[in-house]
Amino acid sequence: MSTFRGWMPLVLMTTLILALGAYAAVHQDAFLTKYNLGNLLLTTMPLALVAIGQANALLVGGFDVSVAALMTMCVVTASFTLQPGSSTLVLVAGALAIVGVGLATGLFNATLIRVFRLPSIIATLGTLSILEGASLLLRDHPEGFINIDVIDALNTSWSFVPLAFIGVAVLAVVGDLWLYRTRTGLAMRAVGLDETSSRRLGMGTARTVILAFVLCSVMASVAGFYSAAQVQIGSPIIGNYALYSIAAAVLGGASLAGGKGSFVGTLLAALFLTEIGNVLPLFQQPTEYAQMTIGALILLALVLYQAPELLSRARTSWQGVGRLRSRQGEAPAG
Amino acid sequence: MSSPGPATPLVLSLRGVSKTFGVVQALREVSFDCRAGEIHALVGENGSGKSTLLGIASGFLAPDDGEVEIGGHRRRRGSPAEALRLGLGMAYQTYSHILELSVAENLALAMPRSMQPHYSRIEEWAAGRLAEFKLDLPVSAAVRTLSLAERQLLEVVKALLAKPKVLLLDEPTTALGPEDVEQLHALVLERSESGVGIVYVSHRLPEVLGIADRVTVLRDGVGQGTFEAASMSEESLVALMIGRPLQVAFPDRDGAEKPTDVLLAVSGLRGERFGPIDLHVQKGEILGIAGAEGNGQAQFLRALAGVERPSGRASCNGHELDTKSPLAALRAGVVLLTGDRARESLFPVLSVRANTTVQVLRRLGRFGVIRRRRERRTVDDLVRRLRIRMASVEQPVQSLSGGNQQKVSLTRPFLRGDVKVILADEPTQGVDVGARFDIYEALRAKAAEGVAIIVKSSDPLELAGLCDRVVVMSRGKIVDEIRGEQLGERRIVEAIVGSPVARETV
Repeated sequence: MSTFRGWMPLVLMTTLILALGAYAAVHQDAFLTKYNLGNLLLTTMPLALVAIGQANALLVGGFDVSVAALMTMCVVTASFTLQPGSSTLVLVAGALAIVGVGLATGLFNATLIRVFRLPSIIATLGTLSILEGASLLLRDHPEGFINIDVIDALNTSWSFVPLAFIGVAVLAVVGDLWLYRTRTGLAMRAVGLDETSSRRLGMGTARTVILAFVLCSVMASVAGFYSAAQVQIGSPIIGNYALYSIAAAVLGGASLAGGKGSFVGTLLAALFLTEIGNVLPLFQQPTEYAQMTIGALILLALVLYQAPELLSRARTSWQGVGRLRSRQGEAPAG
Repeated sequence: MSSPGPATPLVLSLRGVSKTFGVVQALREVSFDCRAGEIHALVGENGSGKSTLLGIASGFLAPDDGEVEIGGHRRRRGSPAEALRLGLGMAYQTYSHILELSVAENLALAMPRSMQPHYSRIEEWAAGRLAEFKLDLPVSAAVRTLSLAERQLLEVVKALLAKPKVLLLDEPTTALGPEDVEQLHALVLERSESGVGIVYVSHRLPEVLGIADRVTVLRDGVGQGTFEAASMSEESLVALMIGRPLQVAFPDRDGAEKPTDVLLAVSGLRGERFGPIDLHVQKGEILGIAGAEGNGQAQFLRALAGVERPSGRASCNGHELDTKSPLAALRAGVVLLTGDRARESLFPVLSVRANTTVQVLRRLGRFGVIRRRRERRTVDDLVRRLRIRMASVEQPVQSLSGGNQQKVSLTRPFLRGDVKVILADEPTQGVDVGARFDIYEALRAKAAEGVAIIVKSSDPLELAGLCDRVVVMSRGKIVDEIRGEQLGERRIVEAIVGSPVARETV
């Protein structure tokens, strides 16, 4: 059951997005332009996609810190497989190769976590290192342009709204309906909340965890397309998406302890985080400040979000021990 | 209760099952079966292998050797999902609830996939199922908000939902009051009459003998035989379980009641779910708190220990008792032994040694470095004194049986020289007969040193045998006090169920 508390992150994120937007619009004419808003939505795409993937890992109680390295790997791969002047057929095969990199990474992570029983942070840290090295091996400096037709296709917009953003919004809504309104979504949350109980209930816990990590990596590889569309060149260095994606998922309602989260909330949080980066340069703040501000905000948000949850968990477990039973409470009168 | 003849088909059969955990042989070639329509009890001390046997039957554990058949189907690869499909339902001692999810969601998850209701209708569906079992629970409430007794009943209902051919109940009554036990037993009997085979594990022998058709006894992972329940007495079962006849069940009280100083004085203390409470406990006294589950007993103890914030006054040894935090209470000499030892008092992955000395490390060290030999000596001494059964003091506490875990948490008040009050919340919950006596003796020994002890227990027999005086709580207030000649199991039970006899004496 999605309780009122489950909606809080969505309300909070929407409020913050609108408040920051309003402030920026009042002080800077440049903010509320079709060009800037379209640009904001487009720059949100990589984070939105990877954070929605990350939300899956968080739901089953894990973390995937290899996503940024995977996105880099995908951009580097794109600089080979989506080269300018290629035929459509080659481009389709090239795109599939990028998703294939994501699929393979997801299966690799899931194997480390389920078969070899490594904690997900450690497993994905290892994967991160492997992918980083591989990316540097393939491109030790930015090189290799990415097919402009592909970039244009990815950036196709309706008025100022990128079609891809509409797509990811639909995906997030469908994802939440699946998570909170279907049996398989319920099973996913159950595994994240309590794996032992889930196994006792005869649920396929391994399948669920593998699915979550594969989804996470595949979404990160799709995010890689949009990173590629932004940098437009095979670059071995992409942003700090591991932290940002975890932060977006948590700001959107996910619990670091697993079993909770919202894809819509994650999307809104990704939009908010990107909006900060969009607004600060308008006020002539150096981008270094933007990065520091976002980092500090993320830590603050994580602390504020997790603290009440941890507190209430502790409190309810104390109280739950001997909760007054109405039926038994009446018994002595009889 | 009609005993089904041997011709009745077997719904569960384990043959020559063995299982080792590391160096510990938990089960050695144990055979066990359950016929359709019978109630087959499995008894044994904690650590005797009952839970391992159930774990293997339910597919949660894979046996090292031996065969498992459910409903005539040989099981190849052990998994709870497969056991569930073959018609095995299991109510776990530690439950299989997902606490954050609602009652309805938990019920739905307990159904095999193909039989799960559509998500949009689960609350309606769950309400129907609960009504079938005459269980009055809010379907949309998170299981976390239920009392332990409610969770336990829900666990049994979950196991029955898929209409199993064989039902495994692991200690299904530990959190239940007498009224709920009766309800549960009625349910179990009804199912067995309709042909379900039931495996009933419990350490409460009167319960077992009252309900079972056959009884199998385990001791140290070895089967001690299967018997017709009608031919067995509690004494003979206990003798088989512990391998020696049961001696005195409770340590002697210190002879005549001699009035001493009041050590713990509580006046007008109130908190969530209890109060106002006025109470005095004397030096060397063991005071029992009885009452139906969930009438504020646990909260009262937790408030005294500073775990929950109360209002009102409490003093210890003439000084105002600081209940602002567990640390403050501890400094004042008040020690709480919680009912939920696994989660609240022990560090499950740490060794017996570390768990024992964690609160007194400063005393065992020099310049901030722990002197291992001194620590070892202290721990070995306590292990012997409390008769903790284990392979080594370096063993993680989680690998010990429930009773031995409880003994480890009991070592702490023995190490602190400044303990004035011990608050014991269900000190023998899930603890076997042999270990119980050791715990009673340890508590009595502390009382003899002048410590005041409050024991909250749902077992009237235990309160009657152990305590000098028993107060009964109902709806958060003390409604009765029983002492001296009056103190007996029957009198306590009467007070709990609120019989008129009991009320006149208030």
